[in-house]
Amino acid sequence: MSLDRVKELSRAGKLAENYGEVPSLLAGLDETGLRRAGMLLARVDAADVDGARFTVAVAGSSALQPLEAPLTAQLARHGFVPDVRLGGYKQYGMELRDPGSPLFDVEPDLTVCVLDADEVFKHLDTPWTAADVRDALTEHAEHIEALVTAHRADHAGALVLTTLPLPRHWAAQLVDLRSRAELGIAWREFEARLLRLAVEHTGVFVVDMEPLVGVAGPLLDPRLAAYTGVQFADGVLAALAREVGHIARALRGKTSKVLVLDLDNTTWGGVLVEEGPLGITTGEGPVGEAFTAVQKAAKQLASQGPLLAVCSKNDEDKVRIAFRDNPDLTLREDDLVALVANWGAKPDNLRQIAEQLNLGIDSLVFIDDSPSERGLVAANLPQVPVIAVDADEPALHLHRLLADGWFTTQRVTDEDRVRGERYRTERKRMEFRERADSLGDYLAQLGTTVELFVPGEAEVGRIAQITQRTNQFNLTTIRLDVAAVTAALSDPDRAVYGVRCADKFGDHGIVGAVFTSTEADGARRVDNFLLSCRVLARGVEDAVLRTLLAQAKAAGAPALHAAHRPTAKNGAVADFYAKSGFSAVGEPGGGSREFTHDLAELPPPVQHVELKTLTTV
Amino acid sequence: MTETDFVELVEAETGLPLDTADLATGFDDLPGWDSVHLLKVLSALEAEHGITLRIAQLLDAKSLGDLHAAACAAVAA
Repeated sequence: MSLDRVKELSRAGKLAENYGEVPSLLAGLDETGLRRAGMLLARVDAADVDGARFTVAVAGSSALQPLEAPLTAQLARHGFVPDVRLGGYKQYGMELRDPGSPLFDVEPDLTVCVLDADEVFKHLDTPWTAADVRDALTEHAEHIEALVTAHRADHAGALVLTTLPLPRHWAAQLVDLRSRAELGIAWREFEARLLRLAVEHTGVFVVDMEPLVGVAGPLLDPRLAAYTGVQFADGVLAALAREVGHIARALRGKTSKVLVLDLDNTTWGGVLVEEGPLGITTGEGPVGEAFTAVQKAAKQLASQGPLLAVCSKNDEDKVRIAFRDNPDLTLREDDLVALVANWGAKPDNLRQIAEQLNLGIDSLVFIDDSPSERGLVAANLPQVPVIAVDADEPALHLHRLLADGWFTTQRVTDEDRVRGERYRTERKRMEFRERADSLGDYLAQLGTTVELFVPGEAEVGRIAQITQRTNQFNLTTIRLDVAAVTAALSDPDRAVYGVRCADKFGDHGIVGAVFTSTEADGARRVDNFLLSCRVLARGVEDAVLRTLLAQAKAAGAPALHAAHRPTAKNGAVADFYAKSGFSAVGEPGGGSREFTHDLAELPPPVQHVELKTLTTV
Repeated sequence: MTETDFVELVEAETGLPLDTADLATGFDDLPGWDSVHLLKVLSALEAEHGITLRIAQLLDAKSLGDLHAAACAAVAA
């Protein structure tokens, strides 16, 4: 039992030095086990542990000691060294307003403020009416909005608020049904106002408690509430802690990227090699529909950024036939970015999937019904979260899949929505390249088109992302945020261009950016030029550079200047300008090199690349 | 229920390191003990042994020994 090991380490005073074991020990525990382990982990001083610290300050309108253990366990489960600090009983108003409060002795990565309904009702005089509650809620909402504004002004760390489900013991004190409806309306309008804070503020997240209470209720334990002021039962606090754990992961950029599906009795019912591609259970009938629900949820997740892959002990040809020919499957091979079906060990196959997608193994989440396969993966790849489903009860598969928010992210970008498509076309492109007779042949048939454009508001985020993420084809490695890109766009002496690229297999989207400026003598300068590795070595960079040269010449500029500033990763482009007809004119130091082009003679148009005209000069 | 079983359950529910000698220790002298722990222990005893405890009365309990005695009486009844 892994909980026993946690106890043993705790008793021996050796938890801190063996904290590396903790995520694996917690991986298989249920909520009770996590709560119990969390109590022991909460006794460890985070300062004694090496690792990525995550500090959470907890404030609220009720007694919240019972949140400490599950929250500590959830953070530890994700590999953080948790430092959970509880505020004073009902002190949240003071604490959120006062950055000097002891709760903020250490500046937290996250502040969690847990609200509850008693806070509202206990301030009312008895008897009260639905209208009284409405007035109290309006005041409460203004109070909370002011606290959020104050917190945002004082703290860099994020803020999590919770909605507050309406307990029946308050609603039932109204006897007329019309008033009860009015209470319900006022309550939901108040909750909607709280949820709106998450839309209006960056760094503010609101956990909607209602769906959590639906699966993890009851909301409260009346005896605990009456005698100790704790307004939430353990199940609900465990569910909240789980949500906060995934918010912490998302804030640290640890959101999972790939959902890897087992097939037999996980994605569909039955064993493919026995039942045949048309004999598996999916689609029709109650059990088939349970599996279809899993497929639809996977497809739904994949529409927002996560990639789908298959890792199955199976005959590959039968798997491909099933995906192609079984009319009752919701998922098709086209929905997958990787398909590994063989009789090899799953840890090896998962490693292969990660390599194929050029992602870290810790980007994967694996779901399987076989305890032995899951055990093998957990033992060999402890960085991969494993979702357990039970072959005997497919109705629970969907709920197991969604129990943890592995793919929780702050915001989905346009790039996220088409990521799966990009990976799939890249695979087709590779297959096509392997079949082509020569590189020239391949490029000729690829039909690459390139477009330079001036980014609008919708594209600025992606341009900033390119400056943050691109390491190799990044000539001067100047990283910019959204505000800096916007500033460059509005400066009359500077210009920003996005680079869009497509070919016969599909659209690559925005793959590059160019930043230029005009100098005092009218000469143009390339301040930075960036391209994603996905589109290198097929003439795109040459086509873009030729456009910049032609543009400078057309504007009557005496020259186009450019520079290479070396980093650990951009060595491959050190000679890019020299190879493109520029003359080296100086080495200002630090390994940087300056180049210039006199614009007398433009390079010839790039073969195999169709350039779409640039609209603005 | 033996004293050892009882102390194990209290440890699991509170995370406090205890042994059977602590049964006689007053709650005031038990480091880290609070009223939430009391409720958690009583609820866990009820769930584990299928008993109902008079929690309102046990709020005045002075030591773990009092809780153990009340639980044993409820099991025997």
